[in-house]
This record gives sequence, C-alpha cells and structure tokens, in this order.
Amino acid sequence: MPAIEVENLSRTFNSLRAVDNISFSVDAGEIFGFLGHNGAGKTTTIRMLSGQLRPTSGRGCVAGCDIVTEQQRLRPLIGVVSEHQNLYERMSGRENLEFAARLYGKDTQRIEAALKQVDLLDRAGDKVQNYSNGMKQRLLIARSILHGPQIVFLDEPTRGLDPIVGREIRRLITDMSKRGVTIFLTTHYMEEADQLCDRVAFLSEGRIVALDTPDKLKSAHGQQQVNVTLDNGERRNIALDGEDAGRELQQLVSSGQVRTLHSAEATLEEVFIQLAGRRLSE
Amino acid sequence: MNLNIVSAITRKDLVDAIRHRYLLTALVTPLFVALLFRVLLPGGNNTRLLTIVVHDAGGSRLVAELRKTPQIGVVEVLSADATAGEVEKRKAIGGLVVPSGFDTDLAANKQPELTVYVNNEKTIFEQAAFRRLLEQIVRSFAKQPEPARLNWVDVDKGANDRNRGGTGLDQIMLPLLLILTFGMIGAFVVPLLIVEEKEKRTLDFLLSSPASLNEIIAGKALTGVVYTLLIAGLLLGINRQHIQNWPLTLLTIVLGLLFVVGVGLVIGSLLNNTMQVNTWASLVLIVLLAPSFPSIGITAWFDKAMRVIPTYYLSEALKLSMGGAVSSQFWMYLAVLLGCTFVVFFAAAWALHRR
Repeated sequence: MPAIEVENLSRTFNSLRAVDNISFSVDAGEIFGFLGHNGAGKTTTIRMLSGQLRPTSGRGCVAGCDIVTEQQRLRPLIGVVSEHQNLYERMSGRENLEFAARLYGKDTQRIEAALKQVDLLDRAGDKVQNYSNGMKQRLLIARSILHGPQIVFLDEPTRGLDPIVGREIRRLITDMSKRGVTIFLTTHYMEEADQLCDRVAFLSEGRIVALDTPDKLKSAHGQQQVNVTLDNGERRNIALDGEDAGRELQQLVSSGQVRTLHSAEATLEEVFIQLAGRRLSE
Repeated sequence: MNLNIVSAITRKDLVDAIRHRYLLTALVTPLFVALLFRVLLPGGNNTRLLTIVVHDAGGSRLVAELRKTPQIGVVEVLSADATAGEVEKRKAIGGLVVPSGFDTDLAANKQPELTVYVNNEKTIFEQAAFRRLLEQIVRSFAKQPEPARLNWVDVDKGANDRNRGGTGLDQIMLPLLLILTFGMIGAFVVPLLIVEEKEKRTLDFLLSSPASLNEIIAGKALTGVVYTLLIAGLLLGINRQHIQNWPLTLLTIVLGLLFVVGVGLVIGSLLNNTMQVNTWASLVLIVLLAPSFPSIGITAWFDKAMRVIPTYYLSEALKLSMGGAVSSQFWMYLAVLLGCTFVVFFAAAWALHRR
C-alpha cells in the first residue's frame, strides 16, 4: 500500500484555486520531492495531507488514514517540519522536545537520542531564541521525528540556510529515509531535489505538470547527445541515438585526443522552466 | 478530550507565560497595586460595621430593614436636628432622617424625601459604599426603581480634602483588585496565549500534533483559570479578615473567572497578533473594570450605565458575599453573571470554529 495516495485533490480559497485536482502516490520509504514556484500550492498540499486544512474536493490517504475523516489517527503517524521555524523561542531546545513528547504521549527518554541525532545535545539547555537558523532547523527535524512517525513532511527545510548547514540537513533527511521513513519534501533548490529525491513532481498554478524520477525527467526533456572537446580545441556533438554513436565515441577516447566529455542532458531547473514556463524562484 | 494533552498545553503555558514580559506584567499588576495601596494607604478600616444615626419620626419599616442588614449598625436619635451632630459625635458613616408617613407616601408612589447625612471625615471609599448601600436598601425595600428622593447632605464637605485616612484593602478595594485580576486575565493573558500561537505559527505545529482545537483551547482556558485562582487566592489570603462568607465569595470568584476566561477566548480567537491585543485589551480592561470603581456618588445614571457591563454584577456580588450580606439580590447578580458566562462561551465557540 502506498504511504501517500492522493486523488483529484483540490483546495480553493475564495475564488483562488490553490491546489487544482492533483493526483499522485508516494511509496513507503521513498523521498518524494514536490517542486514549484512560490504560491504554486506546495504548502497548501502539505497542510491538507497533514490534516491541518480540509480539501475542497478530492480525497487523500496518508499512512492508511483518510485525511478528512481520520485526522486523529493520522496525526501520531506523521511529522511536519513547517517552512516557518515554529518553535517556542523562550523555551530551551530540550523543553520544546519535552512538550512535543507529552503531546504525543511519548516517553521523554527519547529526547536525548533525538538531540544527539541532530547534534544539539550540547546546546539543549539553551533558549531557542539564542539558536542559529541552522540549529533551529535541526531542532525542528528532531521534533518531527521524536514520536517515530512513518511519514515526515518537510516544507522548504533548507531555505535561507548556508551551504554547510544545508548539507547537514540533507544528511539528516537521508538518515531518516534509510530508517524507512517516507519523506515528502518541498524545496526551491533543484540540486537538492536532484540529489535527494527518488521521484519529483513539478507543481505549477496548483497543478502537477510532471512527475517522474529526476533522471527520467532530465533525459526526457534534455538533448540525447554528448559534447566532446578535443586537445586541438575542436568540439564535436555526438547524438546518442545515432547508429554510429558508440563507435565514434570509442574511437575518440582510444585516440587519446579527448580533453573533456559532457552529457548534454537538461538540469531539473531547465526541465521545470520548459514545463511550467517560469523559473522556480519567480 | 485527552486530558494529558490539555495538561501538557497548560503546563507549557504556565511556565512560558512567566517568561513573557507582557504576560508577567499583566499577572503581577493586581498584586503590585495591592501592595501599593498597603504602602500608600496604611492603617485601613478593619471594622466592617457602618454606623448610621437615624431619626425615625413615624416608625418606618425602612429602619427595621436597615437593622436587618449585617453591615449596618443603627443608632436612633430623638430629633431630626440632632442627627448631623450625632453623626460627627459618634463618628458614624452617616445619618438618616425618615419623615413621618414615609411608608404611606411610598406606597402611594409619592416619592417622599429622605434626608441623608454623609460624614465626610470618613474616606471617600467608605462614603461611596454608604451611598451605594443605602440606595440599594431603599430600592429593595420599596421595590420601585425611583422610590424616594434622597437628599444628600455633607456633614463637613471640607473634610474630604483634609481626609488622608487609609482605607486599606477594605470591602471596596478588594473587589476592585479582584476584578483587576480578572480583567488582566481576560483582556491580556488568555488572548495573548492564543494570539502568540497564531503569530509565531506554533499553532500549525499544535494542529499537526494529536492535539485537537478543543484541547488546545481547553489548555489555554485552564492556564487562565490557574493563574486567576493563584492571584485571587493571594489577594484573598492577604485580606482574609475582610471576607465574611468564604463559600459564596469563592463561588462568585469561580463564576467570575469563568466569565473572563470566556471573554479572553473570544478576544484571542478574533485577533491575530500581539499588537492588536495590546491595542484592544486596554479598552476591554477599562470596560471590565469600570463598574467596580466606587461611583463616589457620581449619580444614579452612572450606576445605570454600568449595569450593561457584566462585571457590574460580579463586583456587586463580590461586595455582598465578602460583606456577608447575602440576599435575593446576591443570587440575582450571580444568575446574571452565569447567563453572561454562557453567552461568552457560546461566542468563543462560534469565533473559534469559524476560523
């Protein structure tokens, strides 16, 4: 059974159709990327799937629970990292996790392990208002996994973080996935999605315009050729679907004249622009 | 409703509130004001009995009614002219001249005149209490809204300016401080507890956790109840000598705190940020507090205007229960307060679920 299954899900705010008839499914243990520009409907989708917002129409099933009728059963099975750093700032990191543990009816002994996992054990007694953005983000991740959820929704988890902290967050996401947690990730960063996600969906104006593995999307929408630069500066473009492509490449490599060799596949961002007609940052 | 979740939210808020500058200020203000009055107005009137000098020419049943009132001690004089002098001599709060045929004129709706002397040597709070109490007794006795013309006569008007006598936290100040506590909880504390969750987006976390909206609101309300009981308990404990009827005083306080917590839930659900709470809460606080201020004889219209504010009934019920003067009027005040409490809770439920 899929971890997340969505059929014709829509959400309207007054006359604005924020999410428009989307359907997809996410397998258990998968890292699923949900990519789109600002206002595309990513956060609205997460809010519906996590039981915070009722859909206008359609149905969704998360961890085997209907998102409308089985919210109370659903909530202990999921973790949510909001795009906002919604922590209790006057409380310490440990107090934030203690509060979360009490809400979920879990043993507070899990807290030390969670803090260790996100490398915050040393600063656990400090007030959150004195944490850096990266520390707050790590604490949010610790809070989201404290109760052992099956699925974690991460809404822009690396936005505004420096590259080193971003890499640390990606490591935590990979760790979660290795332990069998299904990850539903929204992000602006194409490289991040390319690196982390098993599959990605492109969302534009509330609709899914493409859904596949990053490799398939790139190869489907990029050029099927290899660009070769020789020692004498000559450049050759070898079409991979040509009959002699393999032989030609082999000859060039054997001749020892090849200085560089690049595949000409598109980046995910280029695919997105091609499909959605605008950049992700717009 | 999961009580573990409610108690987790309450526990978090109880600790977090005292780290919040505004909330801490709101919580300690009533205690600070109580201490301030103790320091600035030392001494205090520890006797609850108001002595009234009465000349009763026709054996009115009004005087018999006065005698039945626990807060009042009646001293009779033989002539109307001697009344004012006797008020000063006995250091009574006031005097009353009841003309002959008063009861008959009252029955005939003729609005007979009562001359009331006020001893200005007493504090303005005691004078106000006397004026209010007498008006209530006359109205209650005649069972008419405007039964008699009360002709107020100051025994020594200049004494008000000279008067520096302390009131302490007597039966006027204590209800005022209790309602200040209620007002702070209802106008600031409970709304801020809710609004801050919205403003800092922590409500999103709560709503994605196993906590339901009802449990979140119950947790906030319980925090308000705990803080009110704590501060009211301290105020009552410090001034326990002024409480004549503990069970009914506590009943009134419980009803009062439920009312203000309901008001807090309504405000918290309607407003979205701390700045809005700061703007509106002051106005709400003034409205909630107004009926508990001694009218200082401002006039009957002030009293009438205050009757549209539910805390008027809370204030009056507190004064009666603390003074031990439990009458049908007390129960009427409590009934009105109970009705208002139901109304604010319905309004809160509507406002919260509308969101």
